[in-house]
Amino acid sequence: MSAKRRRTLRPPSRRRPDRRLVSAMMLFFFSAFLLIALKGELRWQGFALAVAVPALIYIATLWLPRFFPADKLLLAIANFLCALGVLVLYSTDLEAGTSRGLQQAISYGIGIAAMLFCILLVRYVRRWKLLINIIALGAAGLLVLPLAIGTELNGATNWIRIGGTSLQPSEVVKIALLLVLSYSMSRRQFWPWLIFTGFCLGILMLQKDLGTALIYYITTLFLFFASTGNLPLTGLGIAGGVGAAVLGYHEFSHVKVRVAIWQNPWMYYESTGYQIVQILMAISSGGLFGVGLGLGAPRVIPVYYTDCIFAVICEQFGIIFGILVLVMYAILILRGASIAASARHSFYGLLAMGATTLLGIQTFVIIGGVLKLIPLTGVTMPFVSYGGTSLVSCMGLIGLLQGVASLNQDDVEYDYEISHSLTEEERLPRADRI
Amino acid sequence: MKQLRTRFRLLTMIVIGLIFMAGLYGVYSVSMYGTRWSSSSRNTRYQSARQSVIAGDIIDRNGVVLATTDAEGERVYQANIKARRATVHLVGDRDGNVANGVDSFQAKYLLGFETSISERVAALLKGETRHGDNVTLTVDSTLCTQIVNAFETGTNTKGKSGAAVVMNYKTGEVLALVSLPVFDPSEITQADRENALHPFWNRALQSTLAPGSTFKIITAASALENLSGITNHVFTCTGATKVLDQYIHDYNMAQHGNLKLEKAFTVSCNNAFAQCALMLGDSALRKTAEDFGFNDNFLFRDVVVENSVYPTTGRNAVELAWSGVGQSQIGATPLHMCMVAAAVANDGVMMEPRLLLTVQSPSGTTRLHFSRKEYRRAVPEDIAATLQSYMQNVVASGTGSAARVSGLTIAGKTGSAEASSNGENVTNAWFVGYIADDSLPYACCVLVENGGSGGSVAAPVAAVIFKYLKDNYSGS
Repeated sequence: MSAKRRRTLRPPSRRRPDRRLVSAMMLFFFSAFLLIALKGELRWQGFALAVAVPALIYIATLWLPRFFPADKLLLAIANFLCALGVLVLYSTDLEAGTSRGLQQAISYGIGIAAMLFCILLVRYVRRWKLLINIIALGAAGLLVLPLAIGTELNGATNWIRIGGTSLQPSEVVKIALLLVLSYSMSRRQFWPWLIFTGFCLGILMLQKDLGTALIYYITTLFLFFASTGNLPLTGLGIAGGVGAAVLGYHEFSHVKVRVAIWQNPWMYYESTGYQIVQILMAISSGGLFGVGLGLGAPRVIPVYYTDCIFAVICEQFGIIFGILVLVMYAILILRGASIAASARHSFYGLLAMGATTLLGIQTFVIIGGVLKLIPLTGVTMPFVSYGGTSLVSCMGLIGLLQGVASLNQDDVEYDYEISHSLTEEERLPRADRI
Repeated sequence: MKQLRTRFRLLTMIVIGLIFMAGLYGVYSVSMYGTRWSSSSRNTRYQSARQSVIAGDIIDRNGVVLATTDAEGERVYQANIKARRATVHLVGDRDGNVANGVDSFQAKYLLGFETSISERVAALLKGETRHGDNVTLTVDSTLCTQIVNAFETGTNTKGKSGAAVVMNYKTGEVLALVSLPVFDPSEITQADRENALHPFWNRALQSTLAPGSTFKIITAASALENLSGITNHVFTCTGATKVLDQYIHDYNMAQHGNLKLEKAFTVSCNNAFAQCALMLGDSALRKTAEDFGFNDNFLFRDVVVENSVYPTTGRNAVELAWSGVGQSQIGATPLHMCMVAAAVANDGVMMEPRLLLTVQSPSGTTRLHFSRKEYRRAVPEDIAATLQSYMQNVVASGTGSAARVSGLTIAGKTGSAEASSNGENVTNAWFVGYIADDSLPYACCVLVENGGSGGSVAAPVAAVIFKYLKDNYSGS
């Protein structure tokens, strides 16, 4: 009897991500960067990255978890994907004459800091009420900025330039959105989140950033359903979304074009279908095992470094590796869902679930688009795509998840201590006491 | 929290399901269409691979080398200019003007993507440039040359565009596949580029045109299958049948009087077949057409062929009546119509058309040997037998008499299909047929665009093909 109970209340694991797994990851990236660095002329950047990227992986997956409990598998996968993005970007740098790999590595470092910040935020903030209001107002202000001082890129006005760096506010606002949604939903408030989401969606529509608007919308709908279980209203939301999509198809000319090239990209090869045709040819040229790291011709794909980076991965590493990357995202989602399910408070549960769905939906929207399952919309592939803001915000989401995970772990430990503070005799059923 | 958890589980399942679907779709589409995508002439990767790999040879079934790589690494086509021009659509050209020629579609063999790792390592250690594999085609380049010659010298076909396909109806091997006009891949001239007949277009595979009366094979098959006692039904042909507010008329306004199905097939009576289609109804006729491969997504291993269409929208009695005689938005490629005749000849079984016989490694050992594959059963055996006798009548005593070759039993069907080309109404001449002889199991399809009557323009070209087959393949 007591043995059985002990098993359920085992001392909570404080083990950090499995050392062997992380070592394999570090070795993989070390040799991969070295391989590219030694190709042709020697490049100091490659050597720097060969050291820096494994070091960042070490810091994020082995060193940081010493200070608080963490979900090791989730951490390892997120870091693998980040490092993979740096690697793929760096492999195309030599021919393109860019230094995206290095920039992405710096973003990765900032991303780890953002993750830490979010962990601390979730772990130590206890009075959310005022903070949520400040965050909501700040996020709304940030989101409006591109309309005032933004620049248009690829048909959407969602960038602002500060100094030498550009920033995509809609990526950062994702974290604020999750906090606002889960806070007011967990308190069964209706209007605060509805107004905030409605405002965000309206601004995103004005910026013509439809891909991000779609992700915001689905995340909100999912969280609404999770918190209330109200099927009729959720159904209404889905119907409204479909209605908006139909309306968008008829109102925005570039949505029409996207749908047409999705149906038959080869017909529009000379113009708008060029990108998806290049994607398909890249994926199919890679075959099962890929053409090899740094080889192939990924640069013929327009914006290969952001939206289409999955095609580059498939070309260089093969479709099997591409599927394995999808499996990693699936495991990431499962871990996130399990963190959400073990949360003790609905705020944390909804926060973790929101972060998980957001990452999952975004992955589906971009990878489904690249594989021509759905029309291609310009959103980034979480962790992997080139783009500092996107990477930092994704790591922020991981931070939220880890924060909730650490609280869950604390709760389990607390339960354990409670149960062990009793004497052996007290834990026995009353009848068995001598 | 407990209810929350149940809903979390549901949402997680949805998201995982979506991602799983994306992965599954990716695997499906790459395995189904991957070769077609990667071998596209627009894919710059194979072009860059040509810099580092010596592409293998393309050889015809008699050992004639159609394309090879010279010492400078340049792709060269065979020396004989006539044969070079005749096989250009099959082989392809350096600049990728011809879509899906063997040179690009089989690039994975020709550029050695199928060589094993040990072979690659061996080549690397020896410091040799890698050689791609050689492929042997089912094609007889002499026959291709003969067909082009017949086209270019015939009084009715000279200067016309068109196509011809010859295949073995028992194995599906394509013996000849030509598209007119041809051009010289070694020296593409400005005139070729500006030619209004678009010589780069491979009409045998890429042109879906109204098959006209050759489609009556399918209408007859459908009637024999679905209408009992149709063989004794008497049709009345007054030259024009009124359907709703339109008239279905015969080629040259011919009047055939009272006639039965067999006779109507022999003289190719439009009125009888329009009435036949009306008796059948749209769904029955479409079902038979789909049995013959219409509206199917052709994903053959060796050839990329445009899908044939039996229309599914905008159907009314007029359209249906016109469908019975192979008009009304029905579209089929010459290759597919050849397969239709071949299916009848092969007792109702349609074979998959094939272009590759073998793939050999550079050292000469055969790496891959391709075998015949059944594509689908088009029509039951007894109905195929009836159709065979009908088609023999066409050549023996009907519209296809020009396809006759002494010493052979030829069966066939002519077609004079109305189409519009650049806004002008033209009549495309068709002939599909086969040799009714188990030792010479060959079917062919000839299309002469804007040629006029199928019986007098296309059938003589078929006769040239059958004569060549008789002279060169008898007893083999």
